[in-house]
Amino acid sequence: MRIPIYQVDAFTDRVFGGNPAAICPLEDWIPDATMQAIAAENNLSETAFFVRDGGDYFIRWFTPVHEMDLAGHPTLATAYTIFRFMEPGRDRISFRTVKAGTLVVAREGDLLSMDFPARPPSACATPPTMAAALGKAPVEVRAARDYLAVFERASDVAALAPDFGALAKLDRVLTIATAPGEHGIDFVSRCFAPAGGIDEDPVTGSAHCTLVPYWAGRLGKTTLRARQISKRVGDLYCEHRGERVSIAGKAAFYMQGTIEV
Amino acid sequence: MRIPIYQVDAFTNRACGGNPAAVCPLEGWIPDATMQAIAAENNLSETAFFVPDGDGYLLRWFTPTTEVEICGHATLASAYVVFRFLSRERERVDFRTLKVGTLIVRRMGEELAMDFPARPLRPAGPYPALAEALGKAPIEVYDGWARLALYEHASEVEALAPDFGAVARLDRINVIATARGGSGIDFVSRFFAPAKGIPEDPVTGGAHCALAPFWAERLGKSRLRARQVSKRLGDLYCEHRGERVTIAGKAAFYMQGAIEI
Repeated sequence: MRIPIYQVDAFTDRVFGGNPAAICPLEDWIPDATMQAIAAENNLSETAFFVRDGGDYFIRWFTPVHEMDLAGHPTLATAYTIFRFMEPGRDRISFRTVKAGTLVVAREGDLLSMDFPARPPSACATPPTMAAALGKAPVEVRAARDYLAVFERASDVAALAPDFGALAKLDRVLTIATAPGEHGIDFVSRCFAPAGGIDEDPVTGSAHCTLVPYWAGRLGKTTLRARQISKRVGDLYCEHRGERVSIAGKAAFYMQGTIEV
Repeated sequence: MRIPIYQVDAFTNRACGGNPAAVCPLEGWIPDATMQAIAAENNLSETAFFVPDGDGYLLRWFTPTTEVEICGHATLASAYVVFRFLSRERERVDFRTLKVGTLIVRRMGEELAMDFPARPLRPAGPYPALAEALGKAPIEVYDGWARLALYEHASEVEALAPDFGAVARLDRINVIATARGGSGIDFVSRFFAPAKGIPEDPVTGGAHCALAPFWAERLGKSRLRARQVSKRLGDLYCEHRGERVTIAGKAAFYMQGAIEI
């Protein structure tokens, strides 16, 4: 069986930055085990698969080890692929998903804007091993799908050198470290998911479903400029709209090919 | 600039098994920093680059974080690309390298046989940090370009769940765990190199430059059937020939495409 594949860097305007995602357009669904094997073979943080669904698309996302319920950067990368290679005339796409409803991506110039559910974090007990696992104690910990570990300064987040084995033992897959930004950036973050097979994710759209409501409340503004300060660096343009968040970014094309499985 | 890219699984006969390598044939060298960025973007254990050189090619290999001086599985994958796509009439390809001389690969039916230097290890005393990092004390330890931990049973090697942070802090970058095999397999192994960005390598041709002489002496035979018991599994056929070893295996095609940078 031959399947087209694209690799696109999301949340950056230059190749080798942002977060790479693999994109596989399918004519029809293939077995889950095959999608999982392809995602493991690609070894990127996520591989997106999508099929036509009426006038729009149905999308699913796999890490190298499991299926995700919601993933931002491969959705952005998929929209980029459709806008550039498959339907250049379009400027809006709806993606149906298994667990996260419908996700709409709109094109505004070279910015792709995604409409995602807000997942505001609630107060929670600090897991006793978290400070040791991150290497520094956060000033505040909250939780939604992910843990949110808040630090005082961007430099604290930049300097974290986590013990990934210890982080993998926490009871949530993703741990987000965040702090206020500087020089026009409202907040910075880093995302760790060693239990999901990704020690550090370069840029994580879905983490901003939790980051945006938190920082919108704390800073008293709805439009937020975010930077994920992993080694590859990602830039996100966010808006808090109650139950929903808008997460926008650019994307850069890297590779196009065909796989044979 | 457009560069062809192939992804091939080495030491297996089925796609999504063995060890995936990316292979980029070049017309002339591109900057080292660009090759390093491509290898990081691919995020496979190794990306091979080669340019025509006399009757053969000059070959270099990059992990996501650094250039390496020798790599077996990406050499096997490169030979597969040459034999299948670039120069079909050949039965032999010579790869010149920066640090390990010329590596010759011959096609023998479905198998590709590589001629590599033997790189034997010497006996060493107990090394408690190694036992602790691997989570189980080996019965013997050997040392040289890698640390080798010998176990009594293949099941012990299969069950290892190393602390990769601790492995990364050992005094050698490369760590091999090995034991006698069963049912037609002479020996099994696993290979860990978290300090160079690869917590566990699925199948490691280069490790067999040490493993083939080691087991040839212990078992009193020069031809050996080896299995690397990572999750993806790899099958290797080795022959110890004094200063050299033959490391042979099959390969499976996964992907062909073009990158644009």
